[in-house]
Amino acid sequence: MELNMNREAKVISKNVDVFYGNKQALFDINLEIFKNEVTALIGPSGCGKSTFLRCINRMNDVIDICKISGEIEIDGFNIYKQGVDVVRLREKVGMVFQKPNPFPKSIYDNIAYGPNIHGIAQNKQELDEIVENSLKKAALWNEVKDRLNEPGTGLSGGQQQRLCIARAISINPEIILMDEPCSALDPIATAKIEELIDSLKSSYTIVIVTHSMAQAARVSQRTGFFHLGKLIEMDETDKIFKNPNNKMTQDYITGRFG
Amino acid sequence: MNKELRRKKRYQAEKRFQVYGIIAISLAIFFVGILVTKIFSDGTSAFSRTMIKTEIKLDADLLGITDINNKDEVENADYYTLIYDEFTKSIPFSNDEEEKQIITLLSPDYEYEAKDFFLKNKDQLGKTVTILLTASDDFDQLHKGNFPRDIPEDRRRLSNFQLQIYDQLVKENKVTKVFNNYLFTKGDSRDPELAGFGGAIIGSFFTILICLIISFPIALMAAVYLEEFAPKNRITELIEININNLAAVPSIVYGLFALGILLNVLELPRSTALVGGIALSLMTLPRIIIPARASLKAVPPSIREGALAVGASKVQAVFHHVVPLAMPGTLSGTIIGLAQALGETAPLLLIGMVAFVVEIPGSPLDPSSSLPVQVYLWSESAERGFVEKTSATIMMLLGFLIVMNSLAVYARQKFEKKWN
Ligand SMILES: Nc1ncnc2c1ncn2[C@@H]1O[C@H](COP(=O)(O)OP(=O)(O)O)[C@@H](O)[C@H]1O
Ligand SMILES: [Mg+2]
Repeated sequence: MELNMNREAKVISKNVDVFYGNKQALFDINLEIFKNEVTALIGPSGCGKSTFLRCINRMNDVIDICKISGEIEIDGFNIYKQGVDVVRLREKVGMVFQKPNPFPKSIYDNIAYGPNIHGIAQNKQELDEIVENSLKKAALWNEVKDRLNEPGTGLSGGQQQRLCIARAISINPEIILMDEPCSALDPIATAKIEELIDSLKSSYTIVIVTHSMAQAARVSQRTGFFHLGKLIEMDETDKIFKNPNNKMTQDYITGRFG
Repeated sequence: MNKELRRKKRYQAEKRFQVYGIIAISLAIFFVGILVTKIFSDGTSAFSRTMIKTEIKLDADLLGITDINNKDEVENADYYTLIYDEFTKSIPFSNDEEEKQIITLLSPDYEYEAKDFFLKNKDQLGKTVTILLTASDDFDQLHKGNFPRDIPEDRRRLSNFQLQIYDQLVKENKVTKVFNNYLFTKGDSRDPELAGFGGAIIGSFFTILICLIISFPIALMAAVYLEEFAPKNRITELIEININNLAAVPSIVYGLFALGILLNVLELPRSTALVGGIALSLMTLPRIIIPARASLKAVPPSIREGALAVGASKVQAVFHHVVPLAMPGTLSGTIIGLAQALGETAPLLLIGMVAFVVEIPGSPLDPSSSLPVQVYLWSESAERGFVEKTSATIMMLLGFLIVMNSLAVYARQKFEKKWN
């Protein structure tokens, strides 16, 4: 895999600690995520991967007991600084969840919702275009173009997840966070999503949490290994899977625990 | 062997338990059956009214009409004398007492009925026509078979002479039953045959409308705030406990509150649907808040996250997605709350909706009665005519309750999203 030599850090995490009430979930996380690459976060269940991912679009704000210290910079700007508008932040940082969660509305309305609330489209025609483009980018257009008015919840699991990706894309974010997007899907649907992720990385910076090491190896350029709330090691995916520096990483990827 | 025995015992215990259950359900059905049968057997006769057919000459002199096109004359003509004279003339009698007994066979409103008839048949002036006049309550009950004839005359409300007339009229085919439209169109009356629950239905309608207008938006907003926005702390916990307590407060307490504050301090008009509706909305508020919160809670968090993740603000996520999804449950809770309010009597008694109201209320600011209060009022009266009307009103009330509860079930089943 050839790597872009002058990589640009899109997201920088500096000394991030996260607490749920008294319980510390993340310990001093420092890492960089590069622009237009896929970064995978792996680690055993409960190690804090989702928690970290949700720090990047401040989704943890909705959890009352969740307290975060440290800094996360996006394009050099600390998103935890006082007075940051989370709505603007989430326009820039989209998210796809573990379980597909389309709105119980039509396929069209699922995609149109984001552009509508942000006033992105000037008129119906522009909105139609956005919907079409988003669905095309999410490789779903051909399957749904004739039934845009049917409920999004009526699609298959894999299609629902691509619909959610299309929904995330619709407001033109720069970063897309994916939290185990394939864990509820069958292998064929998974393959489609992986293909899609690969095609999206030229336009977006993608961070994907996955419990499947094979998936991390297939789709990502860089991989971070979390364990018990700590970032154990982060490096090029090739390096992590072939020759990790840390013994624990070695043990995890060879399936000795996790 | 011991094991075998124990297993047997377990099966027996299970059987026994099922039998208890079946007995309980049968008993419940039995009592409901008795109640419904009683109400229907008492109440169905209220839906018909006994009329007496009378031949009447529309005598211009008797009426005092000289010019048929003179509105004033027609309006103020002497319909009373017309009917009195013509009706007593149609039956032979020998003294004043008997004459009085004849005319009391008619309901006292006969002059208005005659006027209504004449206004529709002005061209018949001077001719002899057949007119149907509402019979008195006793006559009505006699014809419906509810009047005991075989007790001594001095303990009867109808004399032997009157019974004779009845038999004669029946023989001449002059007694007939018609659908009792008065029941639906009239307000209360001292005369059972002229009383209806029309006023009570309108009163109930206004009361429930006021109750809905006040309680629904407040309850919805309270539920949304508590469920989606309020910080989880001591104060909100306290509020939550109190809402649950309020739902259990006896309704008469709300009546006392309305009496003390709305009538005595704010001096809102007494006996009106406005005050009744406000009192009932206090009672209904917690009964809507609780199911509304449950419906909001049932909306999966993934929907909120989905909306937040595309940059919706919290308010947008809640009002664009969560509230619409919680609507079916909230609405069904609202309908059930309103159905309870519809059957509520005690608070309305306290604020004076128990008044004797003849006029059909035209607005929530008019004195009015309501269906359950009408039941209460009529059930106090001894006349057989009011007994059947009491049951008929209960039938009406039950009908409304069944419709409302079915609507609630329908709203829930039809519109509620299924979460796989
Ligand atoms: N909403 C929450 N409230 C309290 N504790 C939480 C919450 N979410 C996650 N945690 C805890 O934080 C730790 C990390 O969880 P998570 O980030 O979901 O792990 P992962 O995604 O790697 O499986 C776990 O111990 C979990 O119990
Ligand atoms: Mg997770």
